[in-house]
Amino acid sequence: MAYSATFKEHLSRPRNVGELPEASAIADEKNPVCGDRLRLSLIVKNDRIETARYLAYGCPPTLVCGSVLTELITGKTTTEALELTRADLLKAIGGLPSRKHHATALAIETLHSALAKLN
Amino acid sequence: MSARRVYLDNSATTPVDPRVAAVMTRALIENFGNASSVHGFGQQARAAVDRARREVAALIGARQNEIVFTSGGTEANNLAIRGLCESSVAHGRHIITSAIEHPSVAGVCLELEKRGWEVTRLPVYANGIVKIDDLAHALRVDTVLITVMLANNEIGTIQPVSHIGSLVRERRAAGQRLWLHTDAVQAAGRLSLNVDELGCDLLTISAHKLYAPKGIGALYVRRGVRLHSQNVGGHQERERRAGTENVPGIIAFGEAAKLAREELGERAARDRVLRDRFEAKVRTQISDIVMNGDREQRLSHLSNISFRFIEGEGLLINLDLEGVAVSTGSACSSGTLEPSPVIRALGVDDELARGSIRFSFGKDNTDADVDYAIEVLMRAVERLRALSPLTVSHGSHG
Repeated sequence: MAYSATFKEHLSRPRNVGELPEASAIADEKNPVCGDRLRLSLIVKNDRIETARYLAYGCPPTLVCGSVLTELITGKTTTEALELTRADLLKAIGGLPSRKHHATALAIETLHSALAKLN
Repeated sequence: MSARRVYLDNSATTPVDPRVAAVMTRALIENFGNASSVHGFGQQARAAVDRARREVAALIGARQNEIVFTSGGTEANNLAIRGLCESSVAHGRHIITSAIEHPSVAGVCLELEKRGWEVTRLPVYANGIVKIDDLAHALRVDTVLITVMLANNEIGTIQPVSHIGSLVRERRAAGQRLWLHTDAVQAAGRLSLNVDELGCDLLTISAHKLYAPKGIGALYVRRGVRLHSQNVGGHQERERRAGTENVPGIIAFGEAAKLAREELGERAARDRVLRDRFEAKVRTQISDIVMNGDREQRLSHLSNISFRFIEGEGLLINLDLEGVAVSTGSACSSGTLEPSPVIRALGVDDELARGSIRFSFGKDNTDADVDYAIEVLMRAVERLRALSPLTVSHGSHG
């Protein structure tokens, strides 16, 4: 399958890029197989994700997952964010070729890792 | 998608030259006979195939009866390597090849290895070129085939095939049954080729890298070299490749070969000007890059560059979104987990291999294409580096 219009739009105009020096939590995860990396910084206030920033290295799906993930979680409570699944992310991106689905796993794993650091 | 489109992937395939398309279109309509038929329609097709064969032979300094038309470079490489090895079993089961061959050579060698042949893969060094000394050390009394490409498809480095040819001739003069194949798919039409100067016994070329359509290629087979046919069930191509000839494809290939021979110097000089203009701009305007492969011994139309901190497919798609077409050696793009074996063979780290991009110029590119590509490339590299956790420092923005 070809990449969706949403995918291309996020790739050419990634949202929420960067790091947060005053972050409540920062997680940096790596896919040990392909070497893709995702770093997620969160500012959480009153149990709500106020700001999310990301950095990513790897194939386009990893870059786009980071961008879409930050949009999905901003404004959510930590409990709501924890409920986010790979399927939700895939749907928000407009689908991915099956051999690229692993990018969503790295994104969700990085999110869980960041949320775990809040506690 | 951008309205402007710049094609910088001429090593993957070239656009069909309108002059070639015109000849082929006429052939499709007016010359539809089966070249094996005895009647006039067949003879008309046969005559056209023979003319094309002379042109293809002339491009590489061969005789016309030494050309076997195939469906393309991959089939020609299969026929050359399998065909030669299967017909030479009595003389030995050792093959020497390089670490940077096209998959259609590397894959056949691997398959033969599984069937009991021994394969030595010559390393290349930081410059992407094999060493004759390594080859000399690898040669054994039971070596029957050396297959080393003439120019690499990813980095364009030119291999010392004529030196290898001299070595093969020395060994043969001493009584060894040893043959030399070279995959010249990237070199044909870009370098002046002569099979006698190269000293090769088998040489592969493909039409679609020469501004002709896909689906047609050729294997040069030196007179007297025996090949075990891979396609059987017909007498075509002097029993070496059964199957009705692709007459319009062959006619197109002949025309493209004639044009390539006539325009070779002009095309190569023009490609070099564009490539050098591009590389000079990249060097001055983009930091943290590595230009891959030898700077001198390489094809004039190709530039392979690794961009640090970013992955090739992301860059490729960003360029594509703005209409610039290139190739990458990144793992994601090839559908494997390992980045380009060619770039890895240069001894570079994974990050550089994953960030490698091939820009390959062609006769239809212009200075304005280069300038546009640079403008788009600078933006895309900057955007991706801003995203990368591998770069040194980041602020918060977006």
